[in-house]
Amino acid sequence: MDFGVAGGAGGSEEAARRVRVRFTTKLGPPLRVPSAPLAVPSNLTRMGLSEIVNLLLENASAEHETQPFDFLIDGELVRLPLEEFLLAKGITAEKVLEIEYIKAVAPRKQQDPCLHDDWVSSVDGSNPSYILTGCYDGIARLWKGGAACTHVLVGHSGAITSAHIINGKDESENRFHIATGSKDRTLRLWKFDDAEHLEHPVNIREYKILQGHTSSVQSISSDPSGDMICSGSWDGSIKLWDVKNSEVQGDTVSIKKRKLVSDTANHVESQLEGVAASTLVGHLQSVSSVVWPERETIYSASWDHSVRQWDVQTGQETWNMACGKVLNCLDIGGESSALIAAGGSDPVLRIWDPRKPGTLAPVFQFSSHSSWISACKWHCKSWFHLLSASYDGKVMLWDLRTAWPLAITDSHKEKVLCADWWKNDSVISGGADSKLLICSGVSIQ
Amino acid sequence: MILKPRFSSYALTRAPSRRETCSGFTRTSMVAAAATAAMGKSRRSSKKSDRLEQEIAENPAANGDVEEASGRDEESQPSDAASLSEDESSQGSPVDSEEENGGVNGDEDHRSGEESDSSEEEVPSRNTIGDVPLEWYKDEEHIGYDVAGKKIKKQARKDRIESFLAGVDDAKNWRKIYDEYNDEEVELTKEEVKIISRMLKGKTPHAGVDPYAPYVDWFVWDDKGHPLSNAPEPKRRFVPSKWEQKKVVQYVRAIRKGLIKFDKPKEEPRVYLLWGDDSSAAENKRHGLSYIPAPKPKLAGHEESYNPSVEYIPTQEEINSYQLMYEEDRPKFIPRRFESLRSVPAYEKALKENFDRCLDLYLCPRTRKKRINIDPESLKPKLPSRKDLRPYPRTCYLEYRGHTGPVKTISIDISGQWMASGSSDGTVRVWEIETSRCLRVWNVGEAIKHISWNPLPELPVLAISAGHDVLILDTGLGNAEEQARIKELLHVEESKPEEDGGSTPVVSWVQDDKYDCIRLKHLKAVTTVEWHRKGDYFTTVVPSGDSRAILIHQLSKKHTQNPFKKLHGLPVSAVFHPTRSIFFISTKKNIRVYDLLKQKLVKKLETGVREISSIAIHPGGDNVIVGSKDGKMCWFDMDLSSKSYKTLKAHPKDITNVAFHRSYPLFASCSDDCTAYVFHGMVYSDLNQNPLIVPLEILRGHTSSDGRGVLDCKFHPRQPWLFTAGADSIIKLYCH
Repeated sequence: MDFGVAGGAGGSEEAARRVRVRFTTKLGPPLRVPSAPLAVPSNLTRMGLSEIVNLLLENASAEHETQPFDFLIDGELVRLPLEEFLLAKGITAEKVLEIEYIKAVAPRKQQDPCLHDDWVSSVDGSNPSYILTGCYDGIARLWKGGAACTHVLVGHSGAITSAHIINGKDESENRFHIATGSKDRTLRLWKFDDAEHLEHPVNIREYKILQGHTSSVQSISSDPSGDMICSGSWDGSIKLWDVKNSEVQGDTVSIKKRKLVSDTANHVESQLEGVAASTLVGHLQSVSSVVWPERETIYSASWDHSVRQWDVQTGQETWNMACGKVLNCLDIGGESSALIAAGGSDPVLRIWDPRKPGTLAPVFQFSSHSSWISACKWHCKSWFHLLSASYDGKVMLWDLRTAWPLAITDSHKEKVLCADWWKNDSVISGGADSKLLICSGVSIQ
Repeated sequence: MILKPRFSSYALTRAPSRRETCSGFTRTSMVAAAATAAMGKSRRSSKKSDRLEQEIAENPAANGDVEEASGRDEESQPSDAASLSEDESSQGSPVDSEEENGGVNGDEDHRSGEESDSSEEEVPSRNTIGDVPLEWYKDEEHIGYDVAGKKIKKQARKDRIESFLAGVDDAKNWRKIYDEYNDEEVELTKEEVKIISRMLKGKTPHAGVDPYAPYVDWFVWDDKGHPLSNAPEPKRRFVPSKWEQKKVVQYVRAIRKGLIKFDKPKEEPRVYLLWGDDSSAAENKRHGLSYIPAPKPKLAGHEESYNPSVEYIPTQEEINSYQLMYEEDRPKFIPRRFESLRSVPAYEKALKENFDRCLDLYLCPRTRKKRINIDPESLKPKLPSRKDLRPYPRTCYLEYRGHTGPVKTISIDISGQWMASGSSDGTVRVWEIETSRCLRVWNVGEAIKHISWNPLPELPVLAISAGHDVLILDTGLGNAEEQARIKELLHVEESKPEEDGGSTPVVSWVQDDKYDCIRLKHLKAVTTVEWHRKGDYFTTVVPSGDSRAILIHQLSKKHTQNPFKKLHGLPVSAVFHPTRSIFFISTKKNIRVYDLLKQKLVKKLETGVREISSIAIHPGGDNVIVGSKDGKMCWFDMDLSSKSYKTLKAHPKDITNVAFHRSYPLFASCSDDCTAYVFHGMVYSDLNQNPLIVPLEILRGHTSSDGRGVLDCKFHPRQPWLFTAGADSIIKLYCH
């Protein structure tokens, strides 16, 4: 078969240069093409290859819908014209080229933005039916299905910096706890029950206030089991809080104390106060991000230019890496959940492999952003995909197999302050334009 | 026979000479013959040989002409025979017998030679008459006398026929010679014949003689150490010669008269080095004129040929590209091809170049310019690379927008979380640094001159100077306990100013209800307000306040002091020392350093600039930088001298502010030319080491507004970041 025209390369001289390729895939049978080698023009781009595959699929079955594909040669995504790609990678064009195609990872559609009253500082998409957002007006909101605000968590006196859904194992899907951290130096715990859903947004009050930080709380993360949460603060400390047992220990004494301290405490009904279970001290400056990926280890990123690993049992620092830049965000994921992605006060998203001995140089550096990086998240299923949000108003989707972003969302008019995956196929992001944007249809196998 | 008379006459005439030669050995041929033959025999043989010689000369083919020879020999035959007989009788037969065999065997011949030698030694000459004419014995019976004195009888003459017959029979007859002296016949041996024949050819008689043998110098030429004469040196050798003296006097007179000249005119070399180096020419110097060698022209290459190869010809594109070059870079000569030398046109630039050359000659400077050949790079101080001095602020990532007028002043909270800014639009804003979110806005109403955070982290209070007033403002950023304390602190009893009212209060402390703050009312406009490091005292500068220009206030006691009654010059700003109780006052010309405890002047720093605009103290406290309105920045090392250690002329316009970083070795200056300069300023604890100042980065980005550029710059207290406040109402954050 000859696809001289399919690539749109009409030139007579170009038609002479051809590469023999064979398309392979790990996709299901309806998306399989015959594995016979084809001769394609060597100046084909990704789009041209995608057209060829779609054409082949249409030939096989008439009801095939055209969709974009992405192509992997030797584990690298093709982002250049085929000829240049082969030249750059030093792959010979003499042999039959094996090209694996996968579904292109890009958001297909964008939902209407969820409008907030103030900057959206935090977003959590760990629950498939609700999106939790924290806002600078001190209110956390729950958006059912990403469309309507159903619950409003009111209580903080300062801007919420971090909001986190604690998915306890024993709890049913729609009964969970929420932890929020704020610039008013407190964390608050909220209980959420889907059953009491009404037409109007329901106000929820916190059932517990966690005090102890001397400066604003910057980041919250929870234990995989949901029993504990940890928080990083501007004062440079990381505090661990017990969530599981807090409901049992009704602490009435603290209510009195709170009464004494502040006379504005007129809503004391169900509020309890808690203190930190332990404190991890070591960071010299603001702890901007904490991640608790395994039961025993906490990772933290700080403005003192370091990423640290903590052992929860002993409360000791087990690993320390200086990266030279102020860090704003951190996430653990990727290959066997061991890669560290972090971004900060420069436009480069860096990925380190702490298992790599002897060197602290980042294994990947993505530098398509033009300002500070405010958020980065690994996809929880894929080893290759992660997203990053930046103050330049863009959310980018990255694949470790190419240095170019897979997709760029620049619907935000202002700084993007937070971003997360939702339901494994959507990217949610909130920013200084007071919007929560949901880009769905990202197909990652 | 015809030959006979001739022969006899010949023999007679020759006889005496023959004898003479034999006895005196005058003839060399005879000497040579004698060397080999025996003495006696040689005498005999010599005659024979002579005869043979003659015979051979007459008829070279001697052997062939037997008859003639035999005819000739007939005369001598009898004598020969007689001598032979005599020989046989006296000397014995061996010689003859040997001679007979000689022709047959060479070896025997040699042996016979030896024997004949020995026999000749023994046999003396028969005749002893000596060298007398044989004529005397012509008619005698005898031919002479033998050794014993007995007469030797003449032998009986052979008959001619007899002798002829003998000669015919004898094959050796041709070499038989009659010896008249001894009256005998001698037969020549073969050797003798050879000798004779060699002599006739003019060769040496013996073949073994090498006439050209290498010369052996047997004489020893070395001085044997013994003079020829052993006589002592004569006296005359030691006495000056009178003749010489006369000659010298003659010369001296001639020299005095100038007849003799010593310095001969040097001969000009008629040839010169055609390819020699003109530039090194030493002879050019003695002409007196400073000689400037013309630059060496490049030797002509292939491209200068009238018909160069194709590769030298530039393409049309290249020729076109020359037009884009600068005049100096353009190639002077563009190769062209011509079919023949005939078709080469005249040089079109000839006239112009001639004219230029004339101009060169006419306008050439006649004095040599002294030029020091120093690489300018080597004069640069060796500064470390900027890469090694990282981190330092480089790129602007965050902007803080919100002000509507030029941002006059900014101040960063000690924790690095908040920033306060004051603008000409009369508002004070507090920003969250991390997100550039404006947290709070206070509308003061008057243009803000200066703003300053309290250095205590638990006391988030701002000091704002606006117009005549200084406001101590609670930002509300502390927690509840801190807020309560601040509230308490910022409360002024209304009665106080009334008490001081009698003695014309310098400053009145008034409670401001609008923002719940303290307002310090000054008499004149306040430009600067700075906190003491402990956060209780603060100072204000009122430039037009005369004796009340510099005031120190205490927040906790709400009390104002005026310790500096007399100021030399117009005050610009006043700063507290970061660690000690020392106070810096900068006037327009210089800086005075006071010790607050001892209440006296410690030092006076002379800047030498036109007008000081700002001052910053190094966190170590011993170094001061001063920015001036003529764009200069002076670094003072107070331990070193009262003069500036280094003056950096960086900005083309007024420096508006200078700043030191609290922990990183960085300092910065900002100016009305819309830029901020970042420097590395390392201060060493070693007193012998001077501070290291390296310019790092020029930060651009602000736009000019109303002639003003960047109005303030401050470092982040913990990060190597620089905030700049611009007249374009934007605050920018430059990150590393």
